[in-house]
Amino acid sequence: MEALQTLDLTKHYRSGSFTKKNIPALEKVSLSIEQGEIFGLLGPNGAGKTTFVKLILSIVHPTSGSATVLGYPLGQRKLKEYCGYLPENHRYPAFLSAENTLIFFGRLNGLPESTLKEKAHALLETVGLKDWAKVKTKKFSKGMLQRLGLAQALINNPKILFLDEPTDGVDPVGRKEIRDLLLSLKAQGTTIFLNSHLLSEVEMICDRVAILNKGNVVRTGTISELTTQKLAYHIHLSSPLTKEVRERLDQTILPIEYHETSLVVTLHEKPQLNLIIDILRSGGIGIEDMTQQKTSLEDYFIQIMKGENG
Amino acid sequence: MFRYTVEEVLRRGTLLFYFIIASIIILILALGIGHPVNDPDAITLFGSPIPRVSEQGFNMIEFLLIQLHSLSIFWIIILGMFGVAGLVPSMLEKGMVDLFLSKPLNRAELLMARAFGAVTGIALNLLYFFVGVWLVFGLKAGVWHWGFLSSMLYVIYAFICFSSVITILGLITRSASISIMLSFIYTIISWGLELREHGLYRLWDNVVYQRFLDTLYYLTPQLNAMLDNSTRVIGKLPMMMNVPDFTFMPFLYSFFPTCFLFGLSIWYFSRQDF
Repeated sequence: MEALQTLDLTKHYRSGSFTKKNIPALEKVSLSIEQGEIFGLLGPNGAGKTTFVKLILSIVHPTSGSATVLGYPLGQRKLKEYCGYLPENHRYPAFLSAENTLIFFGRLNGLPESTLKEKAHALLETVGLKDWAKVKTKKFSKGMLQRLGLAQALINNPKILFLDEPTDGVDPVGRKEIRDLLLSLKAQGTTIFLNSHLLSEVEMICDRVAILNKGNVVRTGTISELTTQKLAYHIHLSSPLTKEVRERLDQTILPIEYHETSLVVTLHEKPQLNLIIDILRSGGIGIEDMTQQKTSLEDYFIQIMKGENG
Repeated sequence: MFRYTVEEVLRRGTLLFYFIIASIIILILALGIGHPVNDPDAITLFGSPIPRVSEQGFNMIEFLLIQLHSLSIFWIIILGMFGVAGLVPSMLEKGMVDLFLSKPLNRAELLMARAFGAVTGIALNLLYFFVGVWLVFGLKAGVWHWGFLSSMLYVIYAFICFSSVITILGLITRSASISIMLSFIYTIISWGLELREHGLYRLWDNVVYQRFLDTLYYLTPQLNAMLDNSTRVIGKLPMMMNVPDFTFMPFLYSFFPTCFLFGLSIWYFSRQDF
């Protein structure tokens, strides 16, 4: 069973008291997320990432389409019992301490009173706020609030965790700690749905991503599927290229990037790779290693956005 | 949510102010009221004996209790309005509402816990003042005035009805300041509608207009009438002889618009996107 499945999920907002202008936020989004995977939703500002999560958690109502979380349709109380959520720019009652904030949200989740305090302390320790348990949240920095938010999202031992910019405002050490925590949650079988602008982080921890632009899913795949340039190869050579071999390679009219003992060739079609290998071998140049060229997720994302937005 | 809202209300500056003033009044009464040993028909006020009922039939105890009651309800409505009008808008603030709505609670539960948590916070303050004053009069002067104590229940009921107005205003405006302003306007309108026969009717001698005012009166909780009636439970002073006796009608009439407004609030809240 999928952890999350959406089918043609659509949301149009209506703005203006009289004109009721229709503003599309999501258009027929169909996604499927397996249990235990970390799934990243990427997209520029206003792409519909937050709306998507809000639809799943019934914070906004869908215009059309359907979705299930762990088999439960949208709007069911049981669905929310299994979910943890860290929204972007979340706020907490200023008069509550970190400990009481977690106890309060634990109560809202319907957790038994007897376990709340213990659970709150354990989570505060996990997110590095153990010494701040009795301090009111109004004294917390952005990064500390983010850690507290993560603890809040975990208070009910969720099976699926929705995180909207979880490392926003967190220092690099804290980011690493959060990444490690997410990976350990994944190892325990928790499904994690991540909205983030920090593509390098997404690349480090996500199994699959979807790219959203103007409410439409424009790409979906594993990190490797998206970042691998299928027709670009990095060829490591046993010795530097001779002048003669280089001339022959230039005659192929393929874009080739030369390095001292390697080259990167971008093919028009796959059989051209044999031609390159033949030229190298006939020139007495051995091939030590050959890998498909990869691009960073960030470069890929920018490339997609440029293409999508003309 | 209910427990949290009660805690939040009790921490509000305006209600802390009410609590402090109530404490001072109770303390002054405790120090000032006495019971002369040789005269069971009198009380002492800062050492001066005062007859409980004057020769003209003026009941001094009831006069004092009515004054305290009126003072209390005036301040609880004003301070309560400032204290609770921001509760619904604060729940709806971006970043806060997302967290609440993501929890396994339905929206009606959430909203009603907020509204009744606010009322409970107010009720606890009223309980403190009324029971405090009642105990002082009972213990120090031997006057156990059950009418005064029970009048508190009518005030709490009136505040529940008032909170249905505050809740829907907070929900629609999503702003504490606008909600306070509109709630205040409502209290003035409620007062104006209560006295419509002596005031608003005279502005325009038109039957349709007058029936419109009547309809408005019966469609909204009759705050002013309920508070007036809660005073009459304590007693009637000679200068109040022209005032009608206590009646349950405003409480009954207010029940339906209160239910309607809470129902409307739930319906509106459950349809909103945040």
